Amino acid sequence: MPLIDRVTRQREWGVGTLLILTLIVVGAVNPAFLSVGNLRDMLVQDVPTVIVACGLTFVIVLGEIDISVGALMGLLATVMGLLTSPSRVHWPVAAGVGVTLLLGAAVGLVNGLLVTGGRMPSIIVTLGMMTVLQGVNQLLLNGQWITDLPPGLRFFGLGTLLGMPVSVWAALIVVLLSVLLAQGTPLGRRLYAAGSNPDAARLAGLPVHGLKLFAFTLTGLLTAVATVVSVPRLSVIESGVGQGFELLVVTCVVVGGTSISGGQGTILGSVVAALLLGLVRPMLIFLRLGVSATYWERAIQGAFILAAVLADHLARRRPRLGART
Amino acid sequence: MSPPFVQITGLSKAYGGVQALADVSLTVETGEVHALVGENGAGKSTLIKCLSGVVRPDAGTVAVDGAPLPPGGIRAAEGAGIIALHQESTAFPHLGAADNIFVGREPRRFGGLLDGPRMAQEAQALMERLGERIDLHRRLEELSPAQRQMVGIARALSRRSRLLIMDEPTASLSARETQTLFRIIRQLQAEGVSILYISHRLEEVFALAGRVTVLRDGRLVGTRPIGEVSRDELVRMMVGRDLQAFEREVGAAGETLLDVRGLTRAGEFQDISFALRAGEIVGLAGLVGAGRSEVARAIFGVEPPASGAVTVAGAPLPPGSVRAAVARGVALVPEDRQHQGLVLPLPVGVNLLLVVLGTLSLGGFRSARKEKTTVAGLMQELSVRAAGPSVPAGTLSGGNQQKLALGKWLAASPRVLLLDEPTRGVDVGAKAEVYRLIRQLARGGMATLVISSDLPEILALSDRILVMREGRLAGELSREEATEERILALALPAAGEP
Repeated sequence: MPLIDRVTRQREWGVGTLLILTLIVVGAVNPAFLSVGNLRDMLVQDVPTVIVACGLTFVIVLGEIDISVGALMGLLATVMGLLTSPSRVHWPVAAGVGVTLLLGAAVGLVNGLLVTGGRMPSIIVTLGMMTVLQGVNQLLLNGQWITDLPPGLRFFGLGTLLGMPVSVWAALIVVLLSVLLAQGTPLGRRLYAAGSNPDAARLAGLPVHGLKLFAFTLTGLLTAVATVVSVPRLSVIESGVGQGFELLVVTCVVVGGTSISGGQGTILGSVVAALLLGLVRPMLIFLRLGVSATYWERAIQGAFILAAVLADHLARRRPRLGART
Repeated sequence: MSPPFVQITGLSKAYGGVQALADVSLTVETGEVHALVGENGAGKSTLIKCLSGVVRPDAGTVAVDGAPLPPGGIRAAEGAGIIALHQESTAFPHLGAADNIFVGREPRRFGGLLDGPRMAQEAQALMERLGERIDLHRRLEELSPAQRQMVGIARALSRRSRLLIMDEPTASLSARETQTLFRIIRQLQAEGVSILYISHRLEEVFALAGRVTVLRDGRLVGTRPIGEVSRDELVRMMVGRDLQAFEREVGAAGETLLDVRGLTRAGEFQDISFALRAGEIVGLAGLVGAGRSEVARAIFGVEPPASGAVTVAGAPLPPGSVRAAVARGVALVPEDRQHQGLVLPLPVGVNLLLVVLGTLSLGGFRSARKEKTTVAGLMQELSVRAAGPSVPAGTLSGGNQQKLALGKWLAASPRVLLLDEPTRGVDVGAKAEVYRLIRQLARGGMATLVISSDLPEILALSDRILVMREGRLAGELSREEATEERILALALPAAGEP
């Protein structure tokens, strides 16, 4: 396929082009934007979004949604902090992290069970779950902050391996495994098939409910992974952790080209979109437009969603090669 | 004597209180094309579902080579080689053709990863066996309906299908594509694959089948060798009564109600001009893709034409405005009644009133009494078979749904009626009623345009026949000169054209 066709037709190429253009333009205005230090900072900031977007892509490909990931991250941060903090339970870091991962996967599994077994729409199920998780989080925190995370835990957020931050390694591994799952395994093909046409999937003997359970559980688990490698960078854990995170992740998946009605979308698209959306805030700072310019962040991210939906609409109106009516 | 390849014995299935299938038995021999016919609601779909393991029958057995299958398992049926190609789009539009063939049974390598090269290779081999060339990397939604069907057949073959169940396989195929399908069916038959062939088109049944089984109201009417049954006899078995021949007196045409001049939209239709007069039924024939539906939609204002003019009863119609068209008395009953013609979850009564709700209201509020009498009158006039006006439209049979789609416009008494495939997927009995309705409307002075790919239907209904070929009007035939052969001669691309 010629490059121009890829850029206009395949979302990951279109978003990727926009990402590179933004880097070039902002870099031209302020070269410090492209310094190794800044690029690295921006990458570290994007880690939780990238990791959770991988799981959520599968959920949305199946025609479902999970908006409880922000609240789940908040609760997991609190649980992880309480379990490992020397002034609280003071478990070994490995035990605290293990429980956090299990709890994340368990909450995802419950979401999946309610959606498949209870036959409820996932937006309602995960909206309810979000509220419950927020409530439990406030109960556990009891209005207090957790400030004394053990150094072993801090390593996941701040440490480096072979010159690269541990958290970026984690994101890289999650992305590679997700791409392999999506493209290279029968399970991945079946996830796309079940999202593309659930009735046909059932007639083909595919376990549609099982596939949904898998995607929700994976998303819960990846939310826990994102919590483990991003929350220890914070100086305090309080009730605001993860607030609004679900919207950012959903935005990335949709801007990255995953259809909200299911069946299509790529991991790479979601990842590139996460990098692009992560650029917005630093870009506003480095363009030196003044302090108030950063208030535009949300508006610009919102515009990206609308642009993505519009692009889908226009792409659908354009006749495809080889299609017949 | 060895047992028959597939033996169905005493299959019964009830949904709620409705007996969809009652004590049906039949056999399929190796390499046989066995046709299954019957009106909508006769139990064909239920039989297929029981046979392919999608639903579990209440009673009865399916035996393959003398060994009974465990009831109600898709995988068990597939394992025995019984595979159903369900009606249209039961595939995965966003996946590639090769993926569609293998999903659920993917070849693997390296302990669990997809074996892409082998998939491509085997898919290619299957296509060669079918004698078809399809770009297997294309997503299914980018392929034509005929190509999608080939992918479905390849999928069945990849599962070592020995009995292939085809449900209305030609519903969305052009004449040429149908011929290709027939060639493949005969080839599979020669290879020893049996085919259970379900179709409303009796010509196809006579062209392909060795034996034909007729179902009516969930019961077996009989199985006959195709050589021992006539078309009329088959229709009689299906409906259980004689149908009046499809004939009509030629109505006296009155004033011109619709005048179309030079309608053009690049790539779809070119310089279309014709007129419809009061009391006239004009057929619009042509192959699928000739641009007939597009012309109707352009007249109705759904998508405006690039140039050309439409006049209704002497006054020009503004292009691209459905509201204006409706206000001036133009009605369109679309081809896709499920999505464009009806609101399936809403009750029958509400569907009938969709167009006229405004005129029935009292000071902006709905008037229950007026609505009730209008609905009751319409349901009787249309002879809609439904438990009552409050059942959801989606629960009705295809024929009754089509009557609703027609009926909602009758309430508005339009002057110009555009019908796109008015009897697609409708059974023989309901077809006759739809024809009766159309004629009754014409007698009342309505100008009617009937788009249909069913040539007997066009011939039975039309006073005049317009034929489109590749976006242009290829000719016009009067009722007297029209035959299936002459229509086809105009509709098919001339030699040398693509």
